[in-house]
Amino acid sequence: MSVLIDIKYALRLLFKAPKFTAMTLSVLVGGLTISLFTFSFLYSTLHKALPMPEGETALVLSTETIGISMNMDTNQNSLSAYEFRQIAKTQSSLDEFGLYESIDARLSFEDTGKNISATYVDSGFFRFSRTKAMMGRTIQQQDMVVGTTPVAVISYETWQNELSGSKDVLTMTINLNDRVTDVIGVMPPGYRFPGIAKIWLPLKQSQLNKQQNTSSYFTAYARLKSGVSNEQATKYLSAALDQLYQQSVKLYNQPEANKIVHLRSYPMDQVNGIGNTMFIFLNVVAWSILALGCINVGNLLLARSMERQKETAIRAALGATSKRLVSQLMWEGIIITTVGAILSVLLVGAALDYTNIALHSWMPNSMVFWWHWGLDKETLGMAIIVTLVTIILAVFLPAWRSAHQDINAALRDGTRGAQGKKAGRLSRLLVTVQVFLVAFLMLIGTLSGFITQTFINLETGDDYSDIMRASINLPKNKYQTPQEQALLFQALLERIKNDSNVIDAHATTLSHLPIILSEFDFDDSHEKLSIDTFTVIGNTEFSGITLVAGRHLNRRDKSGARKVVLISQSMANRYWPGESALEKKITLEIAGKAESLFIVGIVTNRFNGRSLFGKLDSEDETYISGLQFIKPRMRIYYKTIKGSVNAAGIFYRALFEIDRNIDVVQTVQPAERNRNLMRDGMRLTSKVIFGTGFFALMLAMVGIYGLTANSVAQRTHEIGIRRAVGATDKNITDMFIKQGGRQLLTGLGLALLLFTLISVMFNEFSEGLIPTYLYFVLASVVIVSLSLIVMLAIYAPTRKAVVMEPSLALRYE
Amino acid sequence: MTALIELKDITKTFLTEEIETRALNSINITINKGEYLSLSGQSGCGKSTLLSLLGLLDSPTSGSYLINNVDVSSLSRDQRAKIRSEQIGFVFQSFNLISDLTIFENVMLPLTYQSGFSKKEIAEKVHDVLAKVEMSHRKDHFPSQLSGGQQQRVAVARALVNDPAIILADEPTGNLDSKNAQAVLALFDKLHQDGATICMVTHDPISAKRASRCLEMFDGRLIADNLNTPSHQKLASSVAAIELVAS
Repeated sequence: MSVLIDIKYALRLLFKAPKFTAMTLSVLVGGLTISLFTFSFLYSTLHKALPMPEGETALVLSTETIGISMNMDTNQNSLSAYEFRQIAKTQSSLDEFGLYESIDARLSFEDTGKNISATYVDSGFFRFSRTKAMMGRTIQQQDMVVGTTPVAVISYETWQNELSGSKDVLTMTINLNDRVTDVIGVMPPGYRFPGIAKIWLPLKQSQLNKQQNTSSYFTAYARLKSGVSNEQATKYLSAALDQLYQQSVKLYNQPEANKIVHLRSYPMDQVNGIGNTMFIFLNVVAWSILALGCINVGNLLLARSMERQKETAIRAALGATSKRLVSQLMWEGIIITTVGAILSVLLVGAALDYTNIALHSWMPNSMVFWWHWGLDKETLGMAIIVTLVTIILAVFLPAWRSAHQDINAALRDGTRGAQGKKAGRLSRLLVTVQVFLVAFLMLIGTLSGFITQTFINLETGDDYSDIMRASINLPKNKYQTPQEQALLFQALLERIKNDSNVIDAHATTLSHLPIILSEFDFDDSHEKLSIDTFTVIGNTEFSGITLVAGRHLNRRDKSGARKVVLISQSMANRYWPGESALEKKITLEIAGKAESLFIVGIVTNRFNGRSLFGKLDSEDETYISGLQFIKPRMRIYYKTIKGSVNAAGIFYRALFEIDRNIDVVQTVQPAERNRNLMRDGMRLTSKVIFGTGFFALMLAMVGIYGLTANSVAQRTHEIGIRRAVGATDKNITDMFIKQGGRQLLTGLGLALLLFTLISVMFNEFSEGLIPTYLYFVLASVVIVSLSLIVMLAIYAPTRKAVVMEPSLALRYE
Repeated sequence: MTALIELKDITKTFLTEEIETRALNSINITINKGEYLSLSGQSGCGKSTLLSLLGLLDSPTSGSYLINNVDVSSLSRDQRAKIRSEQIGFVFQSFNLISDLTIFENVMLPLTYQSGFSKKEIAEKVHDVLAKVEMSHRKDHFPSQLSGGQQQRVAVARALVNDPAIILADEPTGNLDSKNAQAVLALFDKLHQDGATICMVTHDPISAKRASRCLEMFDGRLIADNLNTPSHQKLASSVAAIELVAS
């Protein structure tokens, strides 16, 4: 009964003060929504089990080569078929262990076609995913035998969208990579394991039986044996793999390095293992905002209970126990927090749905199948935890404090005129914490915003408009010699260029090659620098890399001819300032051999995103002839006439005319697509950072205003006394500003200290991406703007109290 | 005698929710230096409002107010504050000490709003006035650690610390028991004898009789202004002493 009375009374108080209720609710909903959304989004992205049976135990085995720079040849980060076979023979820590390779396939219809995400799998792949075909069967051992009829398992979506959901699908054939392929099964709706696959094809046994020097590289799936920990398995497998790699170093002239294994969940592997760091960092930011919200709500509720101090004292005097008083004081907060939590959950649900729709439409074919955001039991569980934490911090503590006041002091109309020492200290501490949190968020936000803007406005130096791009990998067994490989690429480029819609084409690949600079006076060869080196067949002019001096690489720069190189203008200016770099020599270490190359041309600079944080790498490039230093895996770029239809088809027609067995490693797509996606992503990130930072700032402003207003209100009588004994308006304002200033300085000081630590670490990591003075500029901007806002938030309520006549202030209750 | 304060045709009107209340109506008073005034009347008659105007805590709606022949009725807020810190001392019914400040700090407060005092001078002055009210031994205590009577003595010390031209006391014994009340009134008597000008609002007729001049108010107007002879004052003191013994 008494609880009902308390609830009724709390509701009456809330309705009686609609402005207070609305303000408290909005602050709370804001803080809860941001923290819940961040948690739910990150949890679903990084930690949720794959949506398939036993998905939580499915692991991906990736490798890392330590000691050499990453380059375009990603083989060093995959597992060769040979390595797989050797490890599989001896390992005892994995229950299931198999290989797959995800590459694009061309699904052709009479005279059109489209790229489709395909995965070549072994016979254990579907068993590993614990999923059966909804129609037909999955890939079996016999499908992997060379010479058998090509077969494919298709996704439910492919069946519905490409084959119109035909009931006769299992008797149908499709044209895949220019080969007639039987459809043998349809997977259930939503199944796209291992990520974005829409079609599954059998790996051929012959591919899996190759020796290390001719082997292709694959991704491995794995499941730990019962009782074996991830650390144990990783340790064992790393040792075994490194042993194999060291053999390759000796036998096949592989770069000296160490190769290790990572066993990660699929979501974690998607973000290259940095998921935990991201999860913690972003949640800390979100929880900081919730903490700001809690402080503000707590303060608003504390102010309310202080207003009712006398009422509470009367209740206590009439016999209410502390427990009863706390419970009675808490109901107002409990109602607000509960309503806030419900509204937040609804808002988070809507925001997650929107995110789901937006991201899936933004990257329609690139979203892995487990990335599905929505209200789930983990989010609801977290909502309950967050609500309870909020109730404890923002509701219970103020109520407990208010219920434990000195009854005599509150009832006696005697000595008064100042808020209690403890309340004053608490209020000052809360302002300091608020300033610290918001200053830190603003500093980090400004730095992130600056980095984001740097990425968005990056001058790339090239021009990819109307240019299409695809990657192919020549089968080593068929194209064994460099001459054969070079001829294939030349023939492919010629065929592409023969299309009337194509302006020009070239093939290229990027490596990160050691450069030997010992021939220069300023010998710094001991640093073992690497340089971005593009291996090129064809002319780069159409992609915006234009000639500044000398000539382009051409057909005559072939094997046996003088070895030549083009360098970027930045490199020419760096090493040959004031003189021509043409006909000078540089030495690059290509395939483990030092090659002296004559500079025959200087071209415009370009930016390489892969080496963003390397000073030298981001500025200098070299271009070597693909006819002299061929690579089996290259990217084809071709520029089409503006508005060309079916620009992707040009590439496939040319490729299939030459050799339909060549793997298209990366689908044909506009060369700008990834860059635009990255820029769009950065813009979105920038907006989110700005929005979050702005909200945090508003929260802090409201909070500091509320705390100061509360503090000033409680000291109104004291102000009256001070005025009565001669204090001027300025004396009173100065008193509050000085007090606020101390809190501002403490909070800002702590935040700057933390920011300095982070900046030093970031500066070291980014090799001076941001000039040092800019950190000071960012910090100054934050200090000035935050100081102004905090001082305004302190000045406004102080001014309001100061203009009150002293006679009124002395009578103020 | 020299006029310290002159109020000429002072009115004060409060406007709350469109209801106009005239708290003071055509008040004319002259207070001379060294006078000890009592101001009495029924509750709500305007005594405290008049005291607030005298203490420059509020401004009159109309009329003129002169202190030492200077019109202060239209001064700015800061100019009024300066006069308060230099020329006026307040003693309130509810003591109005600041609970977070020590006794010493409370007493020194008016001096901190004046310029020209060194730390040493401030300390000397505070010690002097605390000695005068016999509270030196409690200078490091907080108000909540003192009794009501002790708090009021501290409040009197605070009112004296700036050597004010006039001490304004708003029912200074209202919250005290008779023993402490007598002690405070005796303190006022002594201050008066030493030449201080005092204006005290009181309900108590016997307390009022201790003053050299009794003003009586009714409904915002001054209805009586009588001089007390020293024999009246002596009689009032004696009655108070008898009452004290009887209690």
